[in-house]
Amino acid sequence: MKLRPRVALAAIVTTAALVLTGCSAGGSDGSTNTGKTATGGTLTIGTLVDVKSFDPAQSHIGHYLQFDQPVYDSLLRRKPDGTLIPMLAKKWSYNADKTVLTLNLRDDVTFTDGTKLDADAVKVNLDRFRTGNGPDASTLAQIESVDAKDATTVVITLKAPDPALLDYLGNADGFIASPKAIDGGKIDTAPVGSGPYTLDASATVAGSTYTFVKNPKYWDPSLQVYDKIVLKPILDTTAMLNALLSGQVNAALLTAKTEAQAKSGGFTEYRYPTDWQGLLIFDRDGKMVPALANVKVRQAINYAIDKKTLLKQVGQGLGTVTNQVFGPTTAAYDKSLDNSYPYDPAKAKKLLAEAGYSDGFSVSMPTVSGFFDPALTAGIGQNLADVGITVNWVNVAGADFISGMVQGKFAMSWFSLFQGSPWVAANQIITPNATYNPFHTTDPKVESMVDTIQKGSEADQAKAAKQLNDYVTAQAWFAPFYRPDQIFFTDKNTTTTPQAQQAIPSIYSYAPKK
Amino acid sequence: MFSFIVRRIVSGVVALFVVSSLTFFLLYFSATSVARNILGESATQAQVHQKEIELGLDQPLVGRYLHWLGGVLHGDFGVSWFTSRSVVGSIFDRLPVTLSLVLVTIAIVAIVATLVGVAAAVRRGWIDRLLQIVSIAGSAIPQFVIAIIVVTIFAIKLHWLPATGYVPLGGNPGGWAVSLVLPVVALAISAVASTAQQVRSATINVLSKDYVRTLRSRGLAPREILFRHVLRGAAPAGMTVLSLQFIVMLGGVVVIEQIFALPGMGFLALQSTIQGDMPVLMGVVVYIVLIVVIVNLLVDLAVGWLNPKARVS
Amino acid sequence: MSEPTIKTENAMDADALAGAGVTAEPARPGVLRRLVGNPLGLIALIILAIVVVSGIIGPWVAPFDPNHASLADALKGPGGAHLLGTDSAGRDVFSRLLVGARSTLIAAALAAAVALVVGVPSGLIAGFFGGWFDSIASWCTNVLMSLPAIIILLAASAALGHSVWVSMTIFGVLISTGFFRLTRTSVQAVRSELYVDAARVAGLSNTSIIGKHILFVVRAPLIIQTSMVCGIAISIQATLEFLGLGDVLVPTWGVMLNEGFINIYTSPILAVWPGIAISLTIGAFVVLGNALRDALEDTPKAAKKRAAAGPSRVSLLDDDETRGVALVKSNHLLEVNGLGVGYPQPSGRVKTVVTDVSLHLDRGEVLGIVGESGSGKTQTAFSILGLLPDEAVITGGSIVFDGTPLVSSSGGRLSQGRLAALRGKRIAYIPQEPMSNLDPNFTIGYQLVRPLVKVLGLSKADARARALELLGIVGITNPQRTFDAYPHEVSGGMAQRVLIAGAVSCNPDLLIADEPTTALDVTVQAEVLDLLRDLQDRFTMGVVLVTHNFGVVADLCDRVVVMQNGRLVESGDVRSILRDPRDAYTKTLLGAMLEGKTPMTMLTAGPDPLDDEMRMKASI
Repeated sequence: MKLRPRVALAAIVTTAALVLTGCSAGGSDGSTNTGKTATGGTLTIGTLVDVKSFDPAQSHIGHYLQFDQPVYDSLLRRKPDGTLIPMLAKKWSYNADKTVLTLNLRDDVTFTDGTKLDADAVKVNLDRFRTGNGPDASTLAQIESVDAKDATTVVITLKAPDPALLDYLGNADGFIASPKAIDGGKIDTAPVGSGPYTLDASATVAGSTYTFVKNPKYWDPSLQVYDKIVLKPILDTTAMLNALLSGQVNAALLTAKTEAQAKSGGFTEYRYPTDWQGLLIFDRDGKMVPALANVKVRQAINYAIDKKTLLKQVGQGLGTVTNQVFGPTTAAYDKSLDNSYPYDPAKAKKLLAEAGYSDGFSVSMPTVSGFFDPALTAGIGQNLADVGITVNWVNVAGADFISGMVQGKFAMSWFSLFQGSPWVAANQIITPNATYNPFHTTDPKVESMVDTIQKGSEADQAKAAKQLNDYVTAQAWFAPFYRPDQIFFTDKNTTTTPQAQQAIPSIYSYAPKK
Repeated sequence: MFSFIVRRIVSGVVALFVVSSLTFFLLYFSATSVARNILGESATQAQVHQKEIELGLDQPLVGRYLHWLGGVLHGDFGVSWFTSRSVVGSIFDRLPVTLSLVLVTIAIVAIVATLVGVAAAVRRGWIDRLLQIVSIAGSAIPQFVIAIIVVTIFAIKLHWLPATGYVPLGGNPGGWAVSLVLPVVALAISAVASTAQQVRSATINVLSKDYVRTLRSRGLAPREILFRHVLRGAAPAGMTVLSLQFIVMLGGVVVIEQIFALPGMGFLALQSTIQGDMPVLMGVVVYIVLIVVIVNLLVDLAVGWLNPKARVS
Repeated sequence: MSEPTIKTENAMDADALAGAGVTAEPARPGVLRRLVGNPLGLIALIILAIVVVSGIIGPWVAPFDPNHASLADALKGPGGAHLLGTDSAGRDVFSRLLVGARSTLIAAALAAAVALVVGVPSGLIAGFFGGWFDSIASWCTNVLMSLPAIIILLAASAALGHSVWVSMTIFGVLISTGFFRLTRTSVQAVRSELYVDAARVAGLSNTSIIGKHILFVVRAPLIIQTSMVCGIAISIQATLEFLGLGDVLVPTWGVMLNEGFINIYTSPILAVWPGIAISLTIGAFVVLGNALRDALEDTPKAAKKRAAAGPSRVSLLDDDETRGVALVKSNHLLEVNGLGVGYPQPSGRVKTVVTDVSLHLDRGEVLGIVGESGSGKTQTAFSILGLLPDEAVITGGSIVFDGTPLVSSSGGRLSQGRLAALRGKRIAYIPQEPMSNLDPNFTIGYQLVRPLVKVLGLSKADARARALELLGIVGITNPQRTFDAYPHEVSGGMAQRVLIAGAVSCNPDLLIADEPTTALDVTVQAEVLDLLRDLQDRFTMGVVLVTHNFGVVADLCDRVVVMQNGRLVESGDVRSILRDPRDAYTKTLLGAMLEGKTPMTMLTAGPDPLDDEMRMKASI
C-alpha cells in the first residue's frame, strides 16, 4: 500500500511545476454528498500537497491552486476546457503588437474585509507577484509595468509579447488579495480575498484540515455550490487511497497503481493527460557525454526504449505512448509524431554503429528513491543496456533532483513534465535559456520558430509550433515515453470535471451528484 | 536533591547545545543549492542570488550559526525556507498531534504492559509464552508493516475507524479519540510487547527477592504483596523502560504519522527532510531533544522520589 | 548516604541495562550444545545459516541474473520458470532474494561493526581507567541514548544524501551505546575483582589481564547484542526505504519490500517474499540472542549460583485446598515424615534435593538442623513454611503441624491455602540475611504494622503500639526512631532484631530460624542468640534452627538433626551428639567448627530486569 512516488513527488512539485494551470468553469449539477438538495453540504477533497502560504504572491500552479481558489478570485477564469472567461476582469484586450494588455474590472466586488476591489488593488497584487520571489514570479518576467488607469481599468505593458500571459492571469498569477490585508502582514496565514469562500480558522488545523465556509456576500452565487469546502492534505498516496475508500474525502487524486482499487470500490474515475514522461537529453552539444551530440545516438536512445511495455507495466497502461513533448490540447500537437520511434533495438544498434559507437558508451543518470518507480529505473537501464548504453545510476535526494538537473549536473535524466502551450513548453525545455536546457543548446532554426510562436499571428504561431515539434522530435532532443493519465476519483455523491492542463480539477468544478 | 536537579538540568542543556550545534553544521554545510530548490526550477540566476542573500547563505557558516543561536536563545528558530512560516509556529501547530499520539500510547503501554508483564511473571504458562511470541513478532515485523496491516483491516475492510487524519482535542474529544485509535494501536503493539517483557523480568527479579518470601512468612496475602511490594519494587525499572520507549516512539511517529496522514512532528520532520528545509528540521531536532531531556529529567526525579535512599538524603 | 544516590542510582540503572539479563559469563563449550538443544535456538540458527549461505553463494546459484529486467515478463506469479515469480521490472524474485541477502547482511553487519568498533574500545578504556574519559564517554552515551534514531537518520539523510552505507554507519554509532555500557560494566566488575587478587598475581600487568580476561568475559554478551543489532539494522533499512529515504542502488530486502508496497494493489504477493525474509531474519536474530542468553544462564556455574542463592521465586498463587482438612493424630507440634523435595528438570528428570527426611518438634523445644550449604536443610525448613520456590515439588512424605496435615504422602505441591492460614499466625520465620529480607521501599514501622493489621486484625493504633513494644522487646534502644527508619538506615544487627520482632509479633507456636546469625558480626551474633533464647522462653515456642554451626547448636538447641546431601545422617539429643558423634560427616562438621572456619555464604545479585534489547530499541 504505500506508494512512495507521489509523496516525494509532492515535495518536488513544491519546487517544480510538473503540472499546470488552473481555472474555472463552475460546473454543477447535483445533490450533495450528504444526500441533501441541489446545493449545500460539505465537499471534502484530499490534496496531495499542503498549502505553503496563502499569500497570493506565493501562489503556484497545479495542486496549490485548490487552496487559493476558494478564497481568492482570479482576474480571468479558465473553464475546464481551457477557454478563458471573465472573472474579476469583465473584458480584456491587447494592442496590435500584443505588448499592452488592458483589463476592465468589475465594479461590484468587495473583499471580505470590506475593502473595495479596484485597479490599484490589482496593481498591488501583480507587482507583488512579479517581484516577490514566489515560485511562479518568473512567469510575469515580460511585464514592464502595471498601471491603474482608472478605478476599473488596469493596463499591463510588456517588454515583449507573451502568448501565455492570459493563461497565467487565469492561473496562479491572477489571484487578487485585499491590499489592506496585505499591508496587515498576515496574508500568508489569514487570507483575505473576494472569493466564494473564506477560511474558517476555528475549524482549521494547519497541515491537516483547512475549512472554507461560504462568503455570504459573494457576487456570483453560482460558484458556491457547497456550504463548506474542506481540504485535507494527505501527502501519501496510500493514505490518500485509504481516505477515499473509507469515506473521509469525497474526491482525491490517485495513481495508476491505486486506480484499480478505487475503481472496484465504486468510485467515479476521471482520466486526463497533463504530463509527458521520458528522457530529457540535456547534453545535446556533447559537453559531458560526447556521444549525445550525435543525432543518431539520440535517435538510437529513442528506438531503444520499449515505451509500450513501460506504459503497461509502470503506468498500468493508463496513458498514451508518444514521441513528442507537446500535448494533444496544444496547437503543436501532431498525432503522427506519437509513433516516430517505435521500439526497435536492432535499429538502435545500427544507428549507434553508424555514429561510431558500436561498443556503446556510458552515461550517468539520477534516480530518486521514493520518486522513481523501481521498475522504471530497471526498465530504462535494461533497454539501454540491450543496445550497449550503460547507465550509471546516481542516487540523489528528492530535494536536490531538480536543481541538479537544471544546474547541468547530468547529461540526461528521466522526468515527468507538464505539457503546456507551445510557448510555455518552449520556455520550459527548448529555448537556450529554458529551465530544462541547462547546457543552453540551441539551433538557429529553433530560435526562429520560437520567435514566431512568441510574436506571430495566431495562425503563424500554430504553424511554427507544429514545425518546432516536428523538428525537435526528428532531432531527438528528447526521448518521450508516454503521456500518463492523471487518475482522479470522486465518490458516488460527488461529480467534477477535469481541468485541461491542470493536475486536479478546479474548485469551481465540483458539484453534488444528482 | 537540589544539586542533583541542577546538575541534570545543566547536563541536559549542554546536551541540547552539543546536539543542536552538530546538527546545525551538518545540515547547513550541505545546504548548497537550497535557494534554487526553494524558488523552483524556473527561477532566474538573479532570483536565486537574491534568495541566497535573503537567506544569508552568502554569510560564513559560523556567523550564521551564531545568528541562529542568538535567535534560539530568544525562542526564535527562524522561518521555514519553503513556507516562510515561523518554525516555532509550525512546531507548535504540530506538537499537540504528536504529544497526543505519544502520551496516549505511553499511557496505554504502561497500563497494558504492567498487567500483562505482571501476569506473565506470576502465572507463567500460556500468557508468558504468548508474550514471548508477540514480542518476538513485534520486533521482527517492521512497524510500518504493522501499521499498514492495522489500517487495511480496521479502516479499509471493516470501516470501523478512520484511516487518516487528526481531530483536535479541544471541542471534539470524541473525534479526537477516534482519530487516534489506529495510530495508537500501531504504535503500541510492539511497544507493549517489549515493555511487558521488561516488566515481567523486573517483576520476576523482585519476586526473587528475599523480602518477598519473608513477607509471605508473615502471612500477608499474595495480592497485598504483589500490589504493594512487588510493583513498588519494579516501578523504577518500569519507568526507565517507559522513558526509553518514549524516545523510541518519538522516532516511530515519523512512520506512523506518514501512514495515517497525521500533521505531527514526525510528519514535519520527514517533509522538511525531503524538501531540505533546514530551519524546520533544526527546530524539530531541537524540540525533540528538548522533550526527551525534560522527560528524562522527570523520570529521574520520579525514580529518585521512589527510592527512599535518595529521598531521605 | 550523604551524597545523593540518585545519580549513581541512575547511572547504575543505565549500566544495569547494558549488562542486564546478560550476565557476564564467559561462553563455554556447553553453550553451543545447549543452544542447539533449544528448538527455537536451533531454528534461528538454521534460518540465519540459510540467509548467510545465500548471501555468500547467492550470486552463483541464482537461477537468473537478479538485475536482468524484462518488463514484458513483469509481475509473473510464482511457479513456472520463476520459482517465486517476477517483480514489477520482470526480474526473478527468487534470485533477487538470494542476492539481496548479501547486501542486506553486509549493511546490517556494517552497523554492527561500527557499533562494536566505537563501543567496545571506548567501553574498555572508560571502564578500566575511569576518570575524565569515563565521564565524558558516559555522558556522550547518555546523550546518544536520548536521540530517537529515526529523527537523526532523517537529518543525516537531509545532509549527507541517501546512502545505505552512510545511514548504517550513523545508526551503528547511535547504537554503539549498548556495546559501550556492556563493556564498561564488565570491565569495572572484573577490575574490582582483580584488585582484590592483584597482590597475588605478581608479574602480570593488569592491562594484559584485563585485556584477555575482559574480552573473554564480554564475548558472549557481545555476540548476543550484535545479533540484536543486526536484526534492528535490517528493520531500519526497510523503514528508511519506506520513508523514501532509502538507497535504491543497493538491492537490500528493504528495497524489495518497498517495491512490493509500491505494487501492493496490483501484485500483493511481491511484498510477501521480502516481508517474510526480513521478518524471519530479524526474528531469528532476536530469538538467537534470547536463546544464547538462556543457554548462558544454564551453564553449570550459573546454575550452581542459582542453587546456592536458594529458592529463586516464591509463588504468589493460592491454591484453595482449605476444605475438608482432617485432623491427623500426632503428639508433636510438628512432625515431618519421609519428606522428599525435588526440582523437575527440562529433561523431565526430577532432581532430588531432600530425600526421606523425618523429624519432629515439641512445644517449647529447640531443634537444630545442621549441615553444609546444599545439604537440604534450608529446603526442609522452607517445606515446613510452604515457601519453596514454584518449581519445587514435594516428592513424598508428610508434614503435620499440630494435627493439621500440610502435605500428604500423595505428593504434589504444598497446600498453600492451609499454610496461608498458619503463616504469620502460628508459624513464623526468621531469615538469614537481614538486609535483603526487609523491603527497602517501606519503613520498618510499616513492615511491622501491616501484618499486625492485615493478618492479626489489630487496629492501626494498637498495631503501632504493639510494634513499638516488640522493638523494645528485641532490645532496640530507641524503638520510635527505628520504627520510622527505612531499612537502609539501620545496621545489619538491628535489622535482624527487627525481623525477629516481626516473626514473634504473632506469638507463634513454631518459629523457623534459617541461619539467623550467619550474616552478622561475631559480637552481634551472640546478642541475637541471647535474644532468641529469651524469646523462646517468653513465648514457649517450638523452634527449628537451621544452621551450619555446631557452636550455635550447642548454645541453643535441645535436639539436633544432621543433614548431608539431602539426607538425614544423624539425629538425637544435642549433648550426646556433641559428645559422641557416630557419623563421619558429623565428626567432620564438628571438627570444622573447632578450627573456627565458617563456610562462606554465597551472595548473589539477581539478574537485572532490564534487557539490552530494550536499550537498543531505545535508540531507534
